[in-house]
Amino acid sequence: MSTLKHKGKGPQALTANGLRTGPVVYLSADYTWNTAFENAMLTEDPLVIARMSEAGDRDEEENLIVGPYFIDVDAETHLPARYRERFRAQGPSYDPGKPTYAELLMKDGAQVIGQQREGN
Amino acid sequence: MYRYDEFDHTFVRARSQQFKRQVERRLDGSLSEEQFRPLRLMNGLYLQLHAYMLRVAIPYGTFSGKQMRQLAMIADKYDRGYGHFTTRQNIQYNWPDLVDVPAILEDLADVEMHAIQTSGNCIRNTTSDPWAGAAIDEIEDPRPIAELIRQWSSLHPEFTYLPRKFKIAITGASNDRAAIRAHDIGLQIVQNDAGENGLQVYVGGGLGRTPIIGNVLREFISRHELLPYLEAIMRVYNRYGRRDNKYKARIKILVQETGLEKFRDEVEAEYAQLEPLDIAVPQEELNRIADYFSAPDYDDVSSSDEGYDKAVILHSDFAGWVRSNLSEHKISGYTIVNISLKPLKGAPGDISADQMRVVADLAQEYSFDEIRATHEQNLVLANVKKSDVYALYQKLVVAELATGNIGLISDIICCPGMDYCALATARSIPVGQAISERFSDPERQRVIGEMKIKISGCINACGHHHIGHIGILGLEKAGVETYQVKLGGDATSTAEVGKVTGKGFSFDELIDAIERMIDLYLRERDTGERFLDTYRRIGMEPFKGVLYGTD
Repeated sequence: MSTLKHKGKGPQALTANGLRTGPVVYLSADYTWNTAFENAMLTEDPLVIARMSEAGDRDEEENLIVGPYFIDVDAETHLPARYRERFRAQGPSYDPGKPTYAELLMKDGAQVIGQQREGN
Repeated sequence: MYRYDEFDHTFVRARSQQFKRQVERRLDGSLSEEQFRPLRLMNGLYLQLHAYMLRVAIPYGTFSGKQMRQLAMIADKYDRGYGHFTTRQNIQYNWPDLVDVPAILEDLADVEMHAIQTSGNCIRNTTSDPWAGAAIDEIEDPRPIAELIRQWSSLHPEFTYLPRKFKIAITGASNDRAAIRAHDIGLQIVQNDAGENGLQVYVGGGLGRTPIIGNVLREFISRHELLPYLEAIMRVYNRYGRRDNKYKARIKILVQETGLEKFRDEVEAEYAQLEPLDIAVPQEELNRIADYFSAPDYDDVSSSDEGYDKAVILHSDFAGWVRSNLSEHKISGYTIVNISLKPLKGAPGDISADQMRVVADLAQEYSFDEIRATHEQNLVLANVKKSDVYALYQKLVVAELATGNIGLISDIICCPGMDYCALATARSIPVGQAISERFSDPERQRVIGEMKIKISGCINACGHHHIGHIGILGLEKAGVETYQVKLGGDATSTAEVGKVTGKGFSFDELIDAIERMIDLYLRERDTGERFLDTYRRIGMEPFKGVLYGTD
């Protein structure tokens, strides 16, 4: 049984951090974990949410990701509903070092971690 | 400076090897995240909002040029080319990969450094006066005692699973530059009637969601008895400190709930039961540690300040920097150089790897190869000849490290906030930047005078907002950042927790609100008054008036 609790409202996305290097990742429609929020799978379908939940548990068990959880997504803007999650999606507003995740995404496109899974 | 002996070397290496194997076991799945989390935290490794974060210990804020160069190397090799000095005299890296952390710990061990005691419910890195050994108001250098506490507390088996984290700070000066009364235990070196130096012990201070200024637990204890006495306090806390509620688990809550008198009785009873000689440190060992901190070999330079005096007259930028960034040294002809890490557009405490190397070179060339990190997120070269200061200053200018704002309105303490921290509720770095921008005119800053603005991005108060002359707390209300303002906080020997002015401000309103308070202060102040003095004299109401238009 899934340990993930889904209590959200409206469209949901599943997020976590990559285990080895730590980036914020989102489960995409092909059931891989993707660093770009725009590639996150958004759904309100309880069956799909259940499958996402299983994928989150399994990939945590398989040491791909850490701490998966569902987030609410604004149905109109398609951005994370919560303020904190918008920061996780967009990266810091001030980063004195190398480019932020947001800038890297613009430059190199999204990174994918883990093997592609069956989309079931 | 303290140098590792064979035991220290073996201990730190063994620790780093242990963690290497723990990471391997985490990556191959032998350890779950739940099992691994406490282990990584015991080695300073957090999983933050965007990435892992590694916090490296700088015991009592003192380190060498060689160590700074290694920190720069690590920033370049494993992180994003910079580090961030924290309000606990440590340095943290915001972007390391988990797979690299064992190698980072090995590189740290090469220069007698580690990340122990920077996280977890243990006795954390002991903090101290950044001017230790050089300050004119000092009774005694506090670092030998801080080092003694480090050796006693590092992985202390009885105190590794305390109810909550535990912070100790020590000062040897009459002016408190270590915020000792905002710590779980604060120690002040004092002299008794017999002319002997010992420790005055404060207990139960702390910030966070329940800010409390520590009270005197014991007026005087000899240094010989200090460790047994600390052990007695820790035992009482470990036994009775609450474990049912994380937010009530700090010793300040125990002291409040028990009452200071009863708490003192408990400690004294525990102390009476201890056999002090068990862990009381013999004089030879105290002397051995103290020798590492003996005064450097100062030159007799009392009459060679001519070049310095001339440079002050000739170069107004230098003169301005001298006014704010130099502090009086106990030895004539020497000075304490405070290096600001609060440039106009930066984040308080951030320093690039290149700048780290410049500071390392300057320490080696001009200050007996020793650097201090301050809890106000700046750096200090504590023993510089006045005749060298202008040359040093010019090198700081080239490295963009010559911001002349120590103690002024743009010398802001600021936590990483929502930009980096998993606990934050609002951003703090952009607030600090906006205030610095608004008051960027150096002359205006000097006219305003001493001002401590401290910003936290959540109620955990890492940015010390409770004890800022102006404290700012960032909160989230329905997806919007709002900022609560506190006035009248004080981190020094006249410590006080600030009071909330009233309802919060939006980001844009906040900067104007601060400016209105500064203008009020400038209109109302008597000669020589700092913002804090004026506030104490005229009270909250006039400030509320300009904040909320209730005049």
